Amino acid sequence: MEASSPASHLLVNKSRIRLFGLSFDDCIRVFFGGNAIVSIIVLALITYFLFREGAGFFGQNRQNLTVYRQAGLEYIDFIRAQQDDHTALTRYLSDLRLRQFRHYTQEAKLPVADANAKLAVFDDFAGQFGDTVEPIRTLVSDLTEQASAIKEKFTVMEDKKEERRQLMAEGRKGDADRVIITPVNFAEELKPIIGTLPAYKEASAEFSRRIEQVLATAPVLPTPELQVRMDRFKQLTREYLSGFPAVVSHLESWDYAKPVPAVQALTSFIFGREWLTASFWQDWYGVIPLLVGSLMVSAVALLLAVPLGVGAAIYVNQIATPAEQKFIKPGIEFISAIPSVVLGFFGIAVLGQALRALSQASWLSWVPGFPYSERLNILTAGCLLALMAVPTIFTLAEDALNNVPRAFKEASFALGATRLQTVIKIIVPASLSGIISAVLLGLGRVIGETMVVLLCAGNRIAIPDFSAGLAVVTQPVHTMTGIIAQEMGEVVQGSIHYRALFVVGILLFFLSLGINYVAQIVVRRYRISIG
Amino acid sequence: MPATHHVFRAQLTSARRREGFIFFLFGAATYFVLLCGAVVIGTIVVRGAGTVFQARAPFINTTFFTEAPESLHVFQYQGRKMELGDAAFRTFEAAHPDVAKGKSDSYVYSAGGIFPCIVGTVLLVVGSMAIALTLGVCAAIYLNEYARDGTFIRFVRLAILNLAGVPSIVFGLFGFGMFVIFFGWNVSLLAGWFTLAFMVLPVIITASEESLKAVPKGFREGSLALGATKWQTIIKNVLPYALPGILTSSILGIARVAGETAPIMFTAAYVVRDKLPWQVDKFSDFFFQGVMALPYHIYVVSSKIPQNEYTERVQYGTAFVFLLIVALIATASIVLRNRLRNRYKW
Repeated sequence: MEASSPASHLLVNKSRIRLFGLSFDDCIRVFFGGNAIVSIIVLALITYFLFREGAGFFGQNRQNLTVYRQAGLEYIDFIRAQQDDHTALTRYLSDLRLRQFRHYTQEAKLPVADANAKLAVFDDFAGQFGDTVEPIRTLVSDLTEQASAIKEKFTVMEDKKEERRQLMAEGRKGDADRVIITPVNFAEELKPIIGTLPAYKEASAEFSRRIEQVLATAPVLPTPELQVRMDRFKQLTREYLSGFPAVVSHLESWDYAKPVPAVQALTSFIFGREWLTASFWQDWYGVIPLLVGSLMVSAVALLLAVPLGVGAAIYVNQIATPAEQKFIKPGIEFISAIPSVVLGFFGIAVLGQALRALSQASWLSWVPGFPYSERLNILTAGCLLALMAVPTIFTLAEDALNNVPRAFKEASFALGATRLQTVIKIIVPASLSGIISAVLLGLGRVIGETMVVLLCAGNRIAIPDFSAGLAVVTQPVHTMTGIIAQEMGEVVQGSIHYRALFVVGILLFFLSLGINYVAQIVVRRYRISIG
Repeated sequence: MPATHHVFRAQLTSARRREGFIFFLFGAATYFVLLCGAVVIGTIVVRGAGTVFQARAPFINTTFFTEAPESLHVFQYQGRKMELGDAAFRTFEAAHPDVAKGKSDSYVYSAGGIFPCIVGTVLLVVGSMAIALTLGVCAAIYLNEYARDGTFIRFVRLAILNLAGVPSIVFGLFGFGMFVIFFGWNVSLLAGWFTLAFMVLPVIITASEESLKAVPKGFREGSLALGATKWQTIIKNVLPYALPGILTSSILGIARVAGETAPIMFTAAYVVRDKLPWQVDKFSDFFFQGVMALPYHIYVVSSKIPQNEYTERVQYGTAFVFLLIVALIATASIVLRNRLRNRYKW
């Protein structure tokens, strides 16, 4: 018995090679297991490297905002905002002029010259109103130069500091000491700027007096409808004037030394309404315009893709004959194989122009926003993205419909329900969780899509004007994916702009993970148990 | 009720009419989608065919496939309108010095061909698929053959699922941050390979696992019962049957790798490069060079140059060639898959 034991051991255990105490089979198992972990590692690496490059943004942005305050740019922007609001009012007036002009030429059928003659009084009024801002404008342009000079000094100082640091790092202490750093004394530098406060108060008083004077001479407009607008203008102007004391108190209480709270570096990114880079004045990194752009394009895409995708899935799964199924399914799969850059090119070359031409057709003029002139806009990009999302939604929704047991359908028929009733009341509700998750995954695909929006969304960094109602879809936007693709190639590595793009990437990453997560939850939690 | 109506005959009630109408709408939606796809493909094929094919033998525009992009010069010479590529224009100019006086318009990338782009795309696809298949098949073998359900495997599956949903531009950023900057590979083939491989990994893993699952349990049990080890079983009795399925399903991954632009924008693609990939000094330089790629070239020619009758040719031509390649890959995958389903029936 004892003699045969090693022999049987040999028979059973063929692999006796051992590495790190593991048998050959164990090694293989570990090797395959290692490969399985790769996806976890990749996810971790993505997170790590996005944060590695992006995390520095917040420190730099805080610095950016601090300089904005210390160099007095913030102070001047209070006054500039006042000036900009005035510009908005003059724009309201020019819109009003256009409406009057249309009234004279189209409804009263006057020749253009006569219409212009009738508008002379109004033009005079508008011109005077426009000129009222002059005292403020002069002040702002003076102050702008001064503050820019301070900021420039600060930038030079930072550059010198960096130079010295680098020289020190290279071990050239002698050279490093020779770099002259002129510290910027903000308190001193700001004195002339803050010293203009009395001058500002005077200018502001003059400004408001002039507006009052001009407003008193406001002409009476020809129709009640236009008069309503004129009254609205007067009211807006009065509201504008009542805001003046607030500006003064802002200026008086302003203190350059007030520290910028750390959280503002984050909030100015998440809630910032401006993405402005390489500006001579102040760079802003606010993600709102990009986020809104991405969401608007996705919304239009889903609005088109969901009915088409789900409808097609229901048709193929419940209604179509086997022969139809045989070519529809590969056909739609084939659409998903069209590369996004080709779709984007199609949008630029064909669809943009075609949609614009369609919008200019007279029988479609009742559609809100038609006719429009921007060839590349939310609508163009949305239509193409819808075509990309349909195959995703179709395939997943069709799977979900397929998983509904036959018995459900048969039972429904047995009770005398029609096919339509069965589809609407039995099959679709039973697979609703699958359909919703299909839509969510379609949304994930659309929101992360780059090339189509980069080529076709128009790339204007601005929050679209929602006051236009549904016509908002004819405006150009920029998107989160688009901005990364467009600006990444041009930025200086390590600069705040570069890091800001990575932070946009982080936002996009977690947004897509979130959508994915919700889709999985929906499938798991709301599945109708079948059994 | 009129006598002609049989009791069991379908009656055209309002409910039935509504049903017909709604079903018609579903059908219309389906065919509308197919029509849109057909219009996109059709436009590009019809207008691109003008660049790719020609009326004379060999019927295919060989310059377009064998040369690098050049600037196109359009000018009037002795009352005739001439269109010449950059190199030809220079020789022509040398031969006829009076040309320089006349007005000449030039359009970048609009003459010559797209050979370097095709080469670059092929290199990118081959390299990244090699990496992705190795990693993906091994991972799938572990998941299907070794793993038992548990927290760890749940995590792995969750990671795969989430990885599939990460936007391609985020992969581009990641590849840029990790390979290009942190590893110092610069814009290179290697960086592009890994970025694309990681992007396509979930597709490969899922496809491979499905093929492995399709191999019947009896194959494994029979082998194990004969005394083979697990490894011998996998290599001799599972993989050979699963491999055709793995490869065909992975072709769809190829279509994705070839078609994506965003991940290679900052990791591997150059707008223009004079040298071809094999014109390198050292062998190792081969891996650390950027390449031109078809999708990126389409992006460049459709966004960076104006649209007119001269630039249109190269735009549609490139799009057509690209679409053709991707379509061939996709068709191959669909056809092979169907054939495979019929061949192996256990």
